[in-house]
Amino acid sequence: MTRVERLRKRTSSGLALGIALVAIGFGYSAVAPSSSAQDDGLSVEAMAGQEIYENGCITCHGRNLEGVEDQGPPLIGVGEASVYFQVSTGRMPLKQQEAQAQRKTPVYDDAEVNQLMAFIETYGGGPELPTEEDLRDGELAEGGELFRLNCASCHNFAGRGGALSSGKNAPALDQSSDLDIYTAMLSGPQNMPVFGDNQLTPENKRAIINYVQTLKDTSDPGGLSIGRAGPVPEGLIIWIVGIAGCVIACFWVGTRS
Amino acid sequence: MSSHAENGPPGGAQPMPGNPPQPGPGPTDEELARMSREDLVVLGAKMDGVEVVYSELVEPGSTAERRAERQVAAAFTGAGLAALAFMVIFVAWPWEVETAGGGFDLSTLYTPLLGLMMGLAITLVGIGVVLWAKKLMPYEVAVQERHEGASPEIERQTTAATLVDIGNSTGIARRSIIKRSLGFGGAMLGLMAIFPLGGLIKKPGTALFETPWEPGMRLLTLNGLPIRPDDMRPGALQTVFPPVEGGTRSADGVAMLIRLLPQQVTDYRAREGQEDFRWNDFVAYSKICTHAGCPVSLYEQETARILCPCHQSQFDAIDGARSIFGPASRSLPQLAVEVDDDGYFVAKSDFIEPIGPAFWERSS
Repeated sequence: MTRVERLRKRTSSGLALGIALVAIGFGYSAVAPSSSAQDDGLSVEAMAGQEIYENGCITCHGRNLEGVEDQGPPLIGVGEASVYFQVSTGRMPLKQQEAQAQRKTPVYDDAEVNQLMAFIETYGGGPELPTEEDLRDGELAEGGELFRLNCASCHNFAGRGGALSSGKNAPALDQSSDLDIYTAMLSGPQNMPVFGDNQLTPENKRAIINYVQTLKDTSDPGGLSIGRAGPVPEGLIIWIVGIAGCVIACFWVGTRS
Repeated sequence: MSSHAENGPPGGAQPMPGNPPQPGPGPTDEELARMSREDLVVLGAKMDGVEVVYSELVEPGSTAERRAERQVAAAFTGAGLAALAFMVIFVAWPWEVETAGGGFDLSTLYTPLLGLMMGLAITLVGIGVVLWAKKLMPYEVAVQERHEGASPEIERQTTAATLVDIGNSTGIARRSIIKRSLGFGGAMLGLMAIFPLGGLIKKPGTALFETPWEPGMRLLTLNGLPIRPDDMRPGALQTVFPPVEGGTRSADGVAMLIRLLPQQVTDYRAREGQEDFRWNDFVAYSKICTHAGCPVSLYEQETARILCPCHQSQFDAIDGARSIFGPASRSLPQLAVEVDDDGYFVAKSDFIEPIGPAFWERSS
């Protein structure tokens, strides 16, 4: 709004007409690709992506990325962040229809992921990959606070993941790279809520990534992690090992030598 | 009747432990003077009706005794050494946890070693004591004769008479004014002792029925920033706090602002009388579970389910946060929201019902 107002102040009425015409042109080009972009005007990379799409994705996501009922969601406007997360972690292409896609060995390599991203982007842009080199450039303590508020309820306070409803789960973050975590927050894959850049700023996101990766790298004070899953497994070990030890000791005290 | 009955006086009084030794066919003074220590022990036990039927002593100076002695001494010495090691480790071991690099380093062993040494010290003291008792203490089986059944009638009647006589002769039974005043004084004394605890009881007032939210209050993030609708994309969840002093620590005001997906907006059903609580595709619910008060922030954006991590209650965000699974029985209270003239989310009112778990005075 403000930018338009400023421009309006500075321009004469004749110029304003020109701008209006240009705006209509842009508006048209934003709507038009959904019907005609795959025919022409694709970059080499996007065309390669289209080929991959038509071999691997089209069954569930449809000829024009419009999605197929009960098989796959529409991909128009999901953005390259979403494509990166789903394909580079091996979640897509899906092996079978199940509660949720699991991380597995990726089918496509980095170059192919880039081609797919370029192709999907031609159907309308969405969240993009971060441009920063260092995704851990954030304050650790702030990241910890944001992680506990926004992430820990599903992914566990130590990033071990946890159960959701009807067979779904929030995965453990062991294998997640910096970019995986960043694109997941940005795109909200599957049942994860979306954390757009206005909600968690890129700085916030880097702080969270720094916290998660530091947490994973930290050695366990106490020697054994016991899954880092908290008091339940710890109590179980204490119960089995400790009580068994006490019983054996009782037998030893009670027997005559 | 016991085997000692013939020792007692006629009439059936029994020799009880602690009774003076009964005169009878005991040793004469001369015999007594000649008796050894062992004989005296046996005699003393016999006078109490105790008979040692089996006894086993460790041979003094035997190989077995010396070996047992060494074992006990080793256990106690080990306990001392472990305790010393604990103190040395406590002071000298590198304890600072490495936050980068990860994996194994000496600091990971700090806590386990402390625990190991402390446990070892305590366990070895115990092992030493048990070894001592098992291997060096004498083992014997002793039998003491006791009479069977109730005491004889004559003892029961005389004892009862003595007790009643005490009550009468001291006048406790008659002097009721003393009894009552003593009762009163005692009761008040007891009450006085627990009375100051009453200062800890505070009337909750309306605290359980209200939260800090008021009409027109902006919804703030953890960082204290207001929220505009375009800050959140469909499927997003934002934890919001009331803009009051210490608001981010407000245990009852914390709420979830959720932006539903387009299809979910179509399916949305409000609770009766709460149709205008949502703002377009935004809904806000209390983050406190109505079962046990845990924060319910597991949000599944595709199914619009809100899950509670404590006891797996599930609430349906497109059905007025109705409880659809688990132990919670009431819906999450909905916070009525709108957007103010500056384009930021504000609350239209406080929650219209108490948030969190049930309590006595709660009507629903």
